[in-house]
Amino acid sequence: MIGVEHYVVVSSILFVLGVLGIFLNRKNIIVILMAIELILLAVNLNLVAFSAFLNDLTGQVFAMFVLTVAAGEAAIGLAILVIYYRSRGTIAVDDVNRMKG
Amino acid sequence: MDFSHSLSLILPEIVLSVAGLVLLLVAAWGGDKTSRAITIASCVVLAACFAIVAPSVCAAAMGPDTVAFGGQFTADAFAGIAKLMIFAAAGAALVIAPAFFGRYGIMRAEYPVLILFSTLGMAIMVSATDLMTLYIGLELQSLAAYVLASFLRTDDRSAEAGLKYFVLGALASGILLFGMSLVYGFTGTTDFGGIRAALSGGMATGALFGIVFVLAGLAFKISAVPFHMWTPDVYEGAPTPVTAFFASAPKVAAIALTARVALDAFGAQAGAWQQVVIFAALASIVVGALGAIGQANVKRLLAYSSINNVGFILIGLATGTAEGVSAMLVYLAIYVAMTVGSFVAVLMLRNAEGEALEAISDMAGLSRTKPLLALCLAMLMFSLAGIPPLFGFWGKFVVFQAAVQADMVALAAIGIAASVIGAFYYIKIVKIMYFDEPANVVQGRSDWAHWALLAISTAAMSPLGYLLTPWLGELADGAAAALFLAA
Amino acid sequence: MDLIQYLPILIFLGIALGLSGLFVFLPMGVARLTGAHNPHADKLSEYECGFPAFEDPRSQFDVRFYLIAILFIVFDLEAAFLFPWAVSLDLTGWPGWITMMVFLFELTVGLAYAWKKGALEWE
Repeated sequence: MIGVEHYVVVSSILFVLGVLGIFLNRKNIIVILMAIELILLAVNLNLVAFSAFLNDLTGQVFAMFVLTVAAGEAAIGLAILVIYYRSRGTIAVDDVNRMKG
Repeated sequence: MDFSHSLSLILPEIVLSVAGLVLLLVAAWGGDKTSRAITIASCVVLAACFAIVAPSVCAAAMGPDTVAFGGQFTADAFAGIAKLMIFAAAGAALVIAPAFFGRYGIMRAEYPVLILFSTLGMAIMVSATDLMTLYIGLELQSLAAYVLASFLRTDDRSAEAGLKYFVLGALASGILLFGMSLVYGFTGTTDFGGIRAALSGGMATGALFGIVFVLAGLAFKISAVPFHMWTPDVYEGAPTPVTAFFASAPKVAAIALTARVALDAFGAQAGAWQQVVIFAALASIVVGALGAIGQANVKRLLAYSSINNVGFILIGLATGTAEGVSAMLVYLAIYVAMTVGSFVAVLMLRNAEGEALEAISDMAGLSRTKPLLALCLAMLMFSLAGIPPLFGFWGKFVVFQAAVQADMVALAAIGIAASVIGAFYYIKIVKIMYFDEPANVVQGRSDWAHWALLAISTAAMSPLGYLLTPWLGELADGAAAALFLAA
Repeated sequence: MDLIQYLPILIFLGIALGLSGLFVFLPMGVARLTGAHNPHADKLSEYECGFPAFEDPRSQFDVRFYLIAILFIVFDLEAAFLFPWAVSLDLTGWPGWITMMVFLFELTVGLAYAWKKGALEWE
C-alpha cells in the first residue's frame, strides 16, 4: 500500500536534487532553469499528494497556481538568459562573475 | 461575506491592475515617446491608491470587516500602513527614473508599467491571509522585479544582476513553496487562521520543517543573513533607480509579510520561529556592518547597509509583542526615507559627461565642490548610523526599547554594540567627503526631481523628523493592534 | 487530527536528504578516487581529426524559436485554468463566470501587447 509518506519521500528527493542542481552545476545556466523547474514540480507532487490524502481540494488548486506561475517564471528566466547571452556571448555558469566584492 | 464588500476592500489593487493594463497597451501603441506621460499617469495612480488606503490606516481598521473573499485577503491597518510605504517608495522610484534613463537614450515606456505591476504584487503580499494569496502576490512582485533588474539591456552588469536575481529569487520561491506544502500537509489548510488553530494544539516535526523552510524563503526575499549573498551583486548591477526601488518597497512588503506569517499563521508556535528570527537579526547586523567596511562601490556599500538595517528591523519582530511590531513599522518608515534619499544622492553623483559615478573615492572632497549635496549625504549617513540628533536614531531607539520591554536585554545589548561597529563605515564616507583632497570629478547640474526628493528625505531625517513621532507612533500602534487582533 | 502518525514521514525526510545527497556526491567521490584526475588543455579540447576545432560543436538555433516557445508556454498553461472553471461553473455561478472573463481579458491584453511589439512576426 502506497501511503502519503512515499510521495513525500519522492518529492523531498526531487527537491534536494533540484537545490543541489543549482549549487553544484558549473556548466550551463539552462541546467539551473531545469533545476528550478524540478523544485517546483517536487512542490506540486507534495501538494497533490497531501490534497488526495487529506481529502481537501485546496492543495490541487494551489498546484494549479504553482504550475502556471512556474510557466511564467520559466518564460522570464529564458528571456533574461537571452539578454544575458546577447551582452556576454556565453551562458556558462563560471562566467557569471562580472561583479565581485 | 458579501462579494461586493470584498471587491470594495481590494479597490486599490483593482485600480493598480486596471491602470497597469491600460498603460501597458498605451506603451505598446504609443512607443517610448509616451514614457513621460505614462510615468506621470503612474504617479497619479499611486497617489490615488495612497489616498484610498490612507483612511483605513488613520482609522486603525481591523476585525472581520476588513476580511475579503472568505479569509483570503485582509485590508486592515497593518496591511494599510505597509501599502502606504510601498506606494510612496514606488512613486519615488518613478520620479527619479527619467533623468537616469535619459542618459542611456530614451527611457523605455515599460518601466513605469513594471513598477506598477510589482507594486500590485506587493500590495497583495502584505494583505495576504492565505498561503495561496501570499504566493501569487510574491511572484507577481518578483517576476516584475527580475525584469526591472535587467532593464538596461545593453549593460552587461545589468543583465548579470537580472540573471543572479532571477536564479536566487526562484530558488527562494522554491524553498518557500516547499515549506508551504509541508505546512499545508501537516495542518490541512492554507488559511492563516486555520494554520494557527491547527498548530495551537502542538506541532509535528514536519510542520516545524515547513515553518523553517517558509522562513528561509522569506529571509531570502528580505535579504537577511544567511540568505543575503545575492544582495550586493544585484544592487550593484541593477540600474540605480531600480536599486533604490529594490532597497525600499519590496523590503517593506517582504518584512510585513514575514511579520504576518510569523505572528498570525505561526503565532501559536512562537518559540519555533523566534530563535530563527533572533539568529537572522543578529547575523544580519554583524555581517552587514563587517561586509560594508571593505567596499569601494557606494551601491554595494548601501546594499550591506540595507542588510544591516534589516537586522535591526527583525529585532522588532523577534520580540513577538505588539510594541515590537509597532517599533518595527516605525523603523521601516524611517528606513525607507533614508534609503530612498541615499540612492537619490548616489544618482546625483555624475561626472562632466553625465556618466554615473559609483566609486566611493570619487566622492573625495565633495564638501568643497558640491557643499549642499555633501551636507545632505552626510546627514543621511549619520542618520543611517543612528547618531542621536538625527531621526535615524529614533528607529533604533524604539526597536531596542521594545526588545528591553520584552525581556530581551541581551539581544538589545548586542544590537547596540553592533550598531557602533556599523557607524564606522558611514562616518568613513563623511570623512572622505569632508577631509580628503577633492577628486573634482562630480560635475554638472542635477535634475530638479532629484533635488526635491533629496530635500524631502533629508528634512525628514533632520531633527525636524521628531515632530512626526507622535503621529507615526500612533499609526504604527494601530497597525500592530490590527495584526494582533487577528492573531 | 493525531499528528504523531506523521512521525515516519520525518524519518523518511531525513533519509531522502541523505539519499539524494548520496546520489550526487557518491559518483563524484568515486570518480575522484578511482579515476586519474589531472586535466590538461589537450585532454579537455574536442577531438576533431587532429586539427583545432573550427567552431562550437553544438549547433545554435534561432532565437525566434525561443520567443514563440516562451509565448506558447505562458498562454498554454494559463488555459489550464479553464478546465476546473468549466466543470464547476454550476457552483460558482455568475461571479465565477465574470471572474473568468476578466482573466481572459487580461490574457488578451497580454496577447495584444506581444502582437503589437512584433513578437508574433516571424520575419
